[in-house]
Amino acid sequence: MIMDLQFFSHHKGGGSTANGRNSAGRRLGTKAADGSVVTAGSIIYRQRGTHINPGENVGRGGDDTLYAKVAGVVKFERMGRSKRKVSVYPVAE
Amino acid sequence: MIRAHFNLDSDRRITAFQITGHADAGPYGQDIVCAAVSALSISVINGLDKLVQAHPVIESDNDNGGFLKVTGLRSDHDSQLLLTTLLNGLLDIQESYPDNIEVKMLN
Repeated sequence: MIMDLQFFSHHKGGGSTANGRNSAGRRLGTKAADGSVVTAGSIIYRQRGTHINPGENVGRGGDDTLYAKVAGVVKFERMGRSKRKVSVYPVAE
Repeated sequence: MIRAHFNLDSDRRITAFQITGHADAGPYGQDIVCAAVSALSISVINGLDKLVQAHPVIESDNDNGGFLKVTGLRSDHDSQLLLTTLLNGLLDIQESYPDNIEVKMLN
């Protein structure tokens, strides 16, 4: 998470501007925690770009959302030196 | 007024927390209570993510600020150490700035 020291402060004050419009926050980020059990099709991570890459049994949607292709346990893993990926491993019946 | 609510399980472990609102302790860019709460909470979240690899479920309003909800927290020692540090830090801030932050622990 970006270190915004005014995260819990009001908007920038000051005179009127032509701005003032704002879209609602996109609620990006992790939607299924590491180690949690998910069903096929469940959304795991919402992002813009591949902050986290799709691993095993994980698909990437058009808006880079990562989702589970199969039911199983979510695992966040390293990928190479600095990248990360998320996989879903089916649970043995 | 910032409102920080911590959900505790029967063993007093922190299972989720939510911090909402604005400190109103100064103009934007000079709000020291906001800066303290922001630094403390974001540091702990990044610590959970990078140091403990806990990868909690984080919901935040990055555009407007003033909304941070974290769930999917683990009960392991390291996670709870970071979370308890956050809780104690916010309680200390509340003691000094009671008009700007309110901390509650919910069972």
